[in-house]
Order: sequence, then structure tokens, then C-alpha cells
Amino acid sequence: MHNIVARGNNLFAFLSSCTMALLAAIALSSFLFTPIPTGVVDITSLKVYNVNARRYRNRKQEVALVNFNLTADLNSLFHWNTKQVFVYLEAKYENTQGANNTVVIWDRIVRRKEDAHINFTGKNKYMFRELSTSFKNVPPANFSLKYNVMPWVGLLTYGEAARTSEPIEFPPVS
Amino acid sequence: MFNEELKAFRRLGFRHVLLQILNFASVIASGLMIWKGLGLFTNSESPIVVVLSGSMEPAFYRGDLLFLTNPPNQRYNTGDITVYKIPGADIPIVHRVLETHDVPNKRKRSRSKDAVKTPQNSSLPNQLLLTKGDNNLVDDIELYQGLEWLERQHIIGKVRGFLPYVGYVTIAMNDFPQLKYALLGGLGLLALLQRE
Repeated sequence: MHNIVARGNNLFAFLSSCTMALLAAIALSSFLFTPIPTGVVDITSLKVYNVNARRYRNRKQEVALVNFNLTADLNSLFHWNTKQVFVYLEAKYENTQGANNTVVIWDRIVRRKEDAHINFTGKNKYMFRELSTSFKNVPPANFSLKYNVMPWVGLLTYGEAARTSEPIEFPPVS
Repeated sequence: MFNEELKAFRRLGFRHVLLQILNFASVIASGLMIWKGLGLFTNSESPIVVVLSGSMEPAFYRGDLLFLTNPPNQRYNTGDITVYKIPGADIPIVHRVLETHDVPNKRKRSRSKDAVKTPQNSSLPNQLLLTKGDNNLVDDIELYQGLEWLERQHIIGKVRGFLPYVGYVTIAMNDFPQLKYALLGGLGLLALLQRE
């Protein structure tokens, strides 16, 4: 009963339950912080071009080119259980067939609190295409800056930091 | 070396061995029950997965444990991290949703005619998804093996919780199968020889 194996076993069991309790406490503690990230999304221009489709070289497809200014303060998202924050700019629109679409056009991984102040000017990182291959008559799109907080341990949380005040219209093909 | 144990084994007799086998079986059975119960609760065929590749670094590394749910009446959003399995591919992939397209349920009528597969929830639109690994430069179209979009039926679940490193045990066991057998054999032997 009191041999070395039993003692080792007991010690190990005790240590692992302590670790589990500690991890659970850390995971729960991240709900004590209430983040209030702020930001501004400003779409400076939106153009539509006709390019070759990705898979089918002989087929044409329209893509949108978005230029935007982005400022965001994500400082409040960083607490002791934040491993990284994934920030992304999403375009949301309904196409002429009645399908709701959300497309991520830009993203960034923020790993340190020092980098949490985002100031970005540029164009979309990922191709912005339409399911029906054409943006003709597509209603205006809303752009919003969203984030995903990824913890060291525990639950992933999502939120929105900024959005455009009014929808942006798709111009005709240039 | 094992004389002592063998002697004890003889003294305890056949019934004891049976009892220990029963104990061992009940441990395995309850493990299986918890796993399957969790699967039922989360509506996911595998509610806990181990990250096998580095395509989501620096968020998830090899050996991290992910907890999934797959609620049937919820749509997937951009930024969600999904675990999906393309038919024909042997391992599930953990990647983030880049595009969602909620196509109104038009295709469903033709599908119900065949009556092969009923959709999980008819109130939900048919979602077409595109995913990308955070650490990859391009999206996943090449991984879809000819499919244009990922659909709901390919998705195992959405990542909700994260626990680092713990899953490395299973990776080690896959990389060194001897370890697996040694562990299983050791456990089995221990269960048989244990005296209470």
C-alpha cells in the first residue's frame, strides 16, 4: 500500500488534478475582462475589374479591388490569457440571386500588445470575387472589422471592432 | 523476477482474473461511452481533435487539443475555425473560414427526390465555404480535391476551446507504434496483477 509506486501514483494524480483546476481557473478568468476595442474602417475606393477565372483560364470573372484605411485600438483585448488576436476585414453583401455572402478581404495576426494599435492603408489581401462571377446590379456591401481572441487555454471569443457607417456600392466594370 | 506476482496470481485464482478483466472492460466501455455521449451532445463525429500540422501556427501547434461543437441550427461565419474532412482525404484539416455564401435552398428539392440524404436542418440555407490556414499563403481550393466549395456535410465542427500540448501523447503514439503497444500491454498487465 505504501510502496514507491503507490506514492508516485498518488502524487502524480494530485499534481494533475491541481494543474487541471489551475487551467480551468485561468480559462474562466478571461471572462472577467470586458474588452472595448475601437476602430475606424474607411473604404477609400472600390473598383471592379474583369480577370481570368482562377481554375478555368478560358472563363472570365469579375473581381473587386478595395482600397481602405484602417485604424484600430485592440489594446483592451490583450490580457494574461491572450495568445494572439486574429483581426480581419469582412465584406458582407447579398447578391442578385438572394445569397448572403461574407468574404474576408484582409487579415492580420496580432501577437503582442505593442502591435495592438493597427494603422493600415492598402488594398485587399485576398481576391474578392462573386459567386455568380459578376458584381453587376449587386446591392452595396457593408465592411466590418472583426476579431477573434485566441487564448493560451480556454474558449475562443469573437467580436466586432468597427464597421463602415454606410454600405459601399459596387461600380460598373472598369 | 515475476515469481512473486505469479504466486499471487495463483493464490487469487480464476475468479479474480475474471473480475479484473471485467474491471478493465468497464473502464474501456465508460471511456467509449463518454466519447460517444460527447459526440451526441456536440453533434460532431469527433468532438475533440489533435492538431496534426502547422498550418494554423502561431495559433495552433502540433499536439494541441481542440474542442469542437457543430450545432445543427447555426450557420458558420467568417473567422470561425472549422475542422473538415474531404471525402477521400485520410486526415481532417483545421482551417479558418475565409468566405461564406448562403445559397437559398434551391438544390434541396432535387435532393429530396433522390431521398438519399436529408439535410440536417431545412431552415438553414445551403452554405458554401472557403477556408484557409492562418500560416498558409493561399486558400484551400487545392486541398478540396476537385470540389469548388466546402459544404456543411464535410465539416466535423467548429473550434470552441483550446488546450495546448496535451494531444502530443497521441502523436507520439502514432509516430512510435511500439510505445502504443507497450502502454496498452503495460496497462493490461497492471490491471490483471493489481491487488485491491
